[in-house]
Amino acid sequence: MAGFLGRAGYFARETWLNVRRNLTLTVAAILTVAVGVMLVGLGLMARYASTNALGRWQGGVQFEIFMEPDIAGGQTDALGEELRNHPDIERIQYVTQDQAFALLEEMLVDEPELLAEISVESLPPSYRVVPRLAEGEIIESLAAQFRQRPGVYSVETGRQQVDAIREWFNSFRWIVLLMSIVLAAASAMLIFNMIRVAMFARRREIEVMKLVGATNSFIRLPFILEGMLHGLAGGLVGAAAAGALRNHVEELFGRSEILAFFRSFTVTSGQFTTATVATVLMGVIVGALGSAFAAGRFLDV
Amino acid sequence: MIRLDNVTKIYKGETRAVDGVTLNIEKGEFVFLVGESGSGKSTMLRLLTAEEPVTGGQVHVAGKDLSRLSSWRVPYLRRNIGSVFQDFKLLPQKTVYENVAFALEVIGRPRNIITTQVPAILELVGLSNKQKSFPDELSGGEQQRVSIARAFVNRPLILLADEPTGNLDPNTAQEIMRLLDRINRTGTTVIMATHDQTIVDQMRRRVVALRAGQVVRDEQQGVYA
Repeated sequence: MAGFLGRAGYFARETWLNVRRNLTLTVAAILTVAVGVMLVGLGLMARYASTNALGRWQGGVQFEIFMEPDIAGGQTDALGEELRNHPDIERIQYVTQDQAFALLEEMLVDEPELLAEISVESLPPSYRVVPRLAEGEIIESLAAQFRQRPGVYSVETGRQQVDAIREWFNSFRWIVLLMSIVLAAASAMLIFNMIRVAMFARRREIEVMKLVGATNSFIRLPFILEGMLHGLAGGLVGAAAAGALRNHVEELFGRSEILAFFRSFTVTSGQFTTATVATVLMGVIVGALGSAFAAGRFLDV
Repeated sequence: MIRLDNVTKIYKGETRAVDGVTLNIEKGEFVFLVGESGSGKSTMLRLLTAEEPVTGGQVHVAGKDLSRLSSWRVPYLRRNIGSVFQDFKLLPQKTVYENVAFALEVIGRPRNIITTQVPAILELVGLSNKQKSFPDELSGGEQQRVSIARAFVNRPLILLADEPTGNLDPNTAQEIMRLLDRINRTGTTVIMATHDQTIVDQMRRRVVALRAGQVVRDEQQGVYA
């Protein structure tokens, strides 16, 4: 242990010397790592965001049973009773013709002439139904059960929209994942080459070290540390870029009315921290792998 | 200290660099390995440091059977063996002091050991006043003394020297031999491969002559030819 500080000093000095010697290669490797892990970070955040958004809709997902406008009161109550007692249904809410009109008034506030054409009596009263389980299959089968009932005009579910969005996010995630794998491999190879160059530049020292009985791990450690340092630097830059991009996108969603729909695609601060840590860690791992391979390969006893 | 039993080394399936050599070297001996270029002297030294594996036979160094030594233990074997070369193998960007200290540093010796051992060994080789010089500021003899200091600073049991005087003029070569003799007198086993007839004849130590990888002569207090 007495020599530990001296050794730590040795490793720090040797690692720094290597970094300084290959400045351009170092910058290239760091930037490649940064872009690669930034994509990893973005992919992770997109995943969190879509899960959050879908979860929110699914938690409150409902379908709506619209009845004929001229349905008899008894039929409405009987249907309500049946819905309330259905084992798969959590709760229901009855929307009267007046309430439906009020909603329409709100939606058509800019188009009074259109609203004037519609009378309260022509609107269908409806039941908003929240199922116990927010699964598409169950919602669909429930909707099918009630679609054919006398007095029911139509049943509308939000499943198609949810599925479409889920699918879109899934493919986005896959593309990002694929790109980040390619870039991670590229950065590992860059670091591999960099360490190889560094080892070649210091082959005389390595020769002497072997000669006097330095262990392989002792010889390799500065090179592996160097690779990890590059990975760490790239990881930090990438995480910062991913964070900045996330802020920018969320601000965009918040500002634009067209994109208002996406406002529920948010990442909690806990998830953001997880994604950031994972991003930086990914960089370090890529650096360690690239350099460890190089150090292992170009250093035989 | 060193024992070779019917040792053979074949490079790339054809060249027999060492061919059935059996040899026993006791602790504290001084042995010259002589022979023409390509007679197997350097290969024999490389077998002793486990730089090359043997093709056949057994090599024992400092009580270890090298064919059974796992690769992670090789560095620990080498800490018992100092090596000196014709081309010195000094690091040009390090000073004399740093070159010697490097050998202790990379085997994890604590700083206080380094700061006492390095000046002591530089004193022994007569380079106390050149500690801050770089190798290219030194004469060949001085450079070789730095290299010997580096090889000996860890007080190894064995010192291997491969043509240590090959690049030096006769007077400087004499200096180096006096140094190696001094190191031998501390109980260190010294094995030196050489072409230098004058030195071998003058020292009158054990001479092992090789030809085409075989021992053709082994004499106590021998001469070159």
